[in-house]
Amino acid sequence: MLKKSPWVVHYDASSCNGCDIEVLACLMPTFDVERLGIINVGNPKHADIFLVTGSVNEANKEIIQNIYNQMPDPKVVVAVGVCACTGGIFAECYNVSGGVDKILPVDVYVPGCAARPEAIIEGVAKGMGILEEKRKKLRNMTKGLEELTITQAEISDAAEILYVQHLAFQSEAEIYNDFSLSPLRQTMDEIKEDFNNRTFFKAVMNYTIVGIARSRMEGDICHIGRLAVNPVYQNLGIGKKLLQAVENHFDTAESFQVYTSHQSKRNIYLFEHQGYTWFKKERVSERRERIHFEKKHIKD
Amino acid sequence: MSTPLFLIVFPLLISIILLFLKNNTARFGVVVTSFFVLSAASIFLAAEYFKSDMQFLTVPWEFTNHAILAAEILLSLYVLFTGIRNKQKLVTLFAVIQLLPLLWFEFKGPHIEIEHSFVVDRLSVVMALIIGIVGGIISIYSLGYMREFHEQHHKEYKDKRCFFFFVVFAFLGAMYGIVFSNNLRWLYFFWEITSVSSFLLIGYKGTTESIRNAFLALRLNLLGGIGFAAAIIFLQTRVGILELDKVMFSPKAIVLLPVALMCFAGLTKSAQLPFSKWLLGAMVAPSPVSALLHSSTMVKAGVYLILRFAGVLEGTLVGFMIALVGGVTFFICSCIAVSQSDAKKVLAYSTIANLGLIVLCAGLGTYEAVWAAILLIIFHAVAKCLLFLCVGVVEHKIHSRNIEDMAGLIITMPKLSIMMQIGMAGMFLAPFGMLISKWAVLQALVDYNPLLAIFVVFGSSVTLLYWVKWMGRLLTVVGKQDELEGTVHRTEWFSLSALALLTIGVCGFFPLVAHSLVEPYIEEIYHRTVDMGHGNITIMLIMLAMVALFPLSFFRYGKSVKVVDAYLAGANTPQGIDFYNSFNTSQQMHMTSYYMQEFFNEKKLLLTGIIVSTILILISVVSPVC
Amino acid sequence: MLRILFVVLYVIIAPLLGGLMAGIDRKITARLQGRVGPSIFQAFYDVLKLFEKETMVVRRSQNFYIVFSLILVIFTTGLFAWGANILLVIFALTLSSIFFVLGGFKASSPYSFIGSQRELIQIASYEPAVLLSAIGMYMVAHSFNIMTIFTCDKPLYIPLAGIVLAYLFILPIKLRKSPFDLSTSHHAHQELVKGITTEFSGKALAMIEITHWYETTIALGIVFLFFSSNILIGLLAAAAAYFLMIIIDNSFARVKWQKAFASSWLIALIFGVGNIILLSFLAN
Repeated sequence: MLKKSPWVVHYDASSCNGCDIEVLACLMPTFDVERLGIINVGNPKHADIFLVTGSVNEANKEIIQNIYNQMPDPKVVVAVGVCACTGGIFAECYNVSGGVDKILPVDVYVPGCAARPEAIIEGVAKGMGILEEKRKKLRNMTKGLEELTITQAEISDAAEILYVQHLAFQSEAEIYNDFSLSPLRQTMDEIKEDFNNRTFFKAVMNYTIVGIARSRMEGDICHIGRLAVNPVYQNLGIGKKLLQAVENHFDTAESFQVYTSHQSKRNIYLFEHQGYTWFKKERVSERRERIHFEKKHIKD
Repeated sequence: MSTPLFLIVFPLLISIILLFLKNNTARFGVVVTSFFVLSAASIFLAAEYFKSDMQFLTVPWEFTNHAILAAEILLSLYVLFTGIRNKQKLVTLFAVIQLLPLLWFEFKGPHIEIEHSFVVDRLSVVMALIIGIVGGIISIYSLGYMREFHEQHHKEYKDKRCFFFFVVFAFLGAMYGIVFSNNLRWLYFFWEITSVSSFLLIGYKGTTESIRNAFLALRLNLLGGIGFAAAIIFLQTRVGILELDKVMFSPKAIVLLPVALMCFAGLTKSAQLPFSKWLLGAMVAPSPVSALLHSSTMVKAGVYLILRFAGVLEGTLVGFMIALVGGVTFFICSCIAVSQSDAKKVLAYSTIANLGLIVLCAGLGTYEAVWAAILLIIFHAVAKCLLFLCVGVVEHKIHSRNIEDMAGLIITMPKLSIMMQIGMAGMFLAPFGMLISKWAVLQALVDYNPLLAIFVVFGSSVTLLYWVKWMGRLLTVVGKQDELEGTVHRTEWFSLSALALLTIGVCGFFPLVAHSLVEPYIEEIYHRTVDMGHGNITIMLIMLAMVALFPLSFFRYGKSVKVVDAYLAGANTPQGIDFYNSFNTSQQMHMTSYYMQEFFNEKKLLLTGIIVSTILILISVVSPVC
Repeated sequence: MLRILFVVLYVIIAPLLGGLMAGIDRKITARLQGRVGPSIFQAFYDVLKLFEKETMVVRRSQNFYIVFSLILVIFTTGLFAWGANILLVIFALTLSSIFFVLGGFKASSPYSFIGSQRELIQIASYEPAVLLSAIGMYMVAHSFNIMTIFTCDKPLYIPLAGIVLAYLFILPIKLRKSPFDLSTSHHAHQELVKGITTEFSGKALAMIEITHWYETTIALGIVFLFFSSNILIGLLAAAAAYFLMIIIDNSFARVKWQKAFASSWLIALIFGVGNIILLSFLAN
């Protein structure tokens, strides 16, 4: 049914209004997109398709991100006009970051300056198809969750682990606007080196690694680090399962320790609900405070 | 000693004990014990009398009569003295007006043999149950509340708790006196006691404002008292009857004037429109006082009296005028309540409005209307009392009784806000009590006078407005708030939970209540029964069951949902409740309810109401003379 | 037994009818604007789609209110079909609306908050006219029972002409049509996004839509009752009323809530109360 009623939310990033007028022209009697069930809703929470016109700049980056985050899954992003696709003639401007794909996963690009209504309708129609695919994927994902396996990783998994790590820590970096986080900058060689003194865990779903964790014993204390889940698969309880798997593996440990940054609410929530309590806070940079959590191991 | 007499005397004795009891623990023991004794005795009374029709009791005539006369003179002298000392000319005048003629008639007037001094029937049983159970619960609540009031929040006021409990229990005794008296002189005496205790408790804080409001209340209640006294004098000299039951069943033409005068007294006591101001002023008193005197018991004495004479009023112009006063009061006070943001003021206006509805029914005087009125008395007493007590606790915890400040109470005080919602639901929601009664009122009205139904139609539409607005305010959560509930005293918890359960219980068992207490009374007086229709009761109970299922949905709390921030046009800051404004600085969102001031302006509406209802009351008092 | 079967059937068919009417509404509206418009089943497509979407909330309990609003409106429809007391039907319908409003409050967003406030004012605006309709019907048919009113062979609309007018005046409020689409409106998204439904998505939004379909059938059901002395005329009148609402929706701009409140009370007072006063004089 997604195909038959795609609701669109339209955001004008920094368009010259050329594309916006064409978007609105689609609603007019000549093109009448409502005959396809398309409605231009003003609210991302009701929308299926996110239509962006104009290029992304520093001021609207967060707003675009916010709107995208407030759309329920499955959702599709359509970049309308050349500015939204690549930044267009504004790409070189000091304040312009570029096309929408700099910050969001764009599904359909509609070129043109301004994009013609026919092209926009075509783009949205393509988006409807993708919407349907995404829904199937989402369904498979919930099915796949039942087949989730967590095992110890091997050195051959390094590339995939690094990929998940980069994806997952991206959002962390955005919170503090600090892209110098070590998980983001780690290289392939470094991670391979880590395999010598750490144990890696991977959560596998449909033959792909969706979550990782690593740990290291120091005396009686087990340090767990870089617990990461691919953003697409977040909120499904994978992090919790990974944490439990690590705890089960090190049943000789006296206690487990883990840390996160002070604004990472979801991490803190996860740790607190898994029985961890914080015992130390330290300031690592101007913006970031690191909170250390600990959990005593209760042996049977 | 029979149960009714015990119920009158016991609280009076307890009050004297409490006057001299300074120890907190001992007071706690006495109050809790007397709560159990009072409610047990009230329930015993109900069991004893609910099967029988009107029963009369006599007490040793000479001694009691003299004692009461002496007490009455003392009381009047006290009022006179207070009036003089505080330079309240009107109070002094009213006291003199009442004292002199009464004394004259006592000693020089025609002697009237009183056959029965006390009466017990199902209406007095209903009232006694309310006084015993609700009144008792409130006195327990006061233990914790007054302690916190003096020891934490209001150290500036003198701690007069002994005096407080003395007045409260004396008042309870007087209330029992009102509902059991058959001798109108005695009823008048107890009536005056409640006026004076209301005066004392409103002025409890001793601030200028509270003393001013206390005198306002006293003045208006004494004015009503003059009406009562005039009625007694008239009955004594012209009719030669001084007994309630005899007046109730006398030919209309003879007793219409005294009944109109007594209804006038009832209207002042129930704070109906031209006299409503005293009840609003009374909100300066501590919350248990507002709950006890100014919503569930004392103001009910007024409607009780009018209800007693419903049979006389039926079909008369006086009755119609009184019904109109009730209707106007209901409509106008409901409207004003929409424009108020002070929680206690909303409750006060809603109380006046609901009393108006009861007066409307009583003035109409048909059997269906009286049936609805009694149900209204029961439901209103329980639910409104719960709300007053909740607001009392909230006021202590958040230091404000502005409804706007109660945002997010569901997070900060979850249990309390749920009880508050039960109370509000009881006041207006479909399957709960008040709505059952409103439904009955509408049914009763359209048969006789559809014009009166119009007040109910418009009034109940706005009623919904202010209650839902308030409920919504409790539910709306902005930002992170800390829980405040931990420090609520256990006596307060006890009272609140008991009342919440009582509200639900009365609603759930209302067919039983209506069947065993209200309907037999109607049958006794009117020789007709009210039939709600079997199917309708079933439907209401199904609805109640459905609403009761609502809490069950919380088992799915937070399951399979994704939590995101509210939509703020995409400009949310990472903190969620803030957003970036056009200057790119972060700003917190702010929500305020509509108060519809342009439609429901308090001053204008009150003025209109006062003018209209004064005219109506004048007509009602003058018409029997003509 | 047959009566129970009828109630069950009615409860199942009512939303289908409501959804179909919503589709027809969109089609007619499109034609009035010179467009082709969506399929007449579009409303169903929308709801089915919404059921496939993820459920997003701001406060975790906000959707419970919507579920109960739906359950209560189904119950109300059942009561209506059963032919129960019309006052009870009105109260049950109001209860359902109140749950919806509380859901909007619970969502704790400025847009849903303002939508809820306006929805409340709307309820207060239409309530008098609806209750007056019930009273008017009682005065003519001498019963509050819908069954009795339905079987009353006197045509109600003649003695109750004023009340019918007052009821038609508030009908756009219940159907969420211009000029009274104040609380949640597709057309008002400049000022209040989606008003009371702003924070509801996925299944909850679908349920709100279904609730609305039920409400539409009940609101038109009351129109039907006014004309029910002849079933055919009754059905035609309900259809005509709906068509009238579509025309009004397309030809009026949205008014302020002050106007909505004042005008609906005024109309109820003049036509509704006037009608009742006239009736009671005639009866005496």
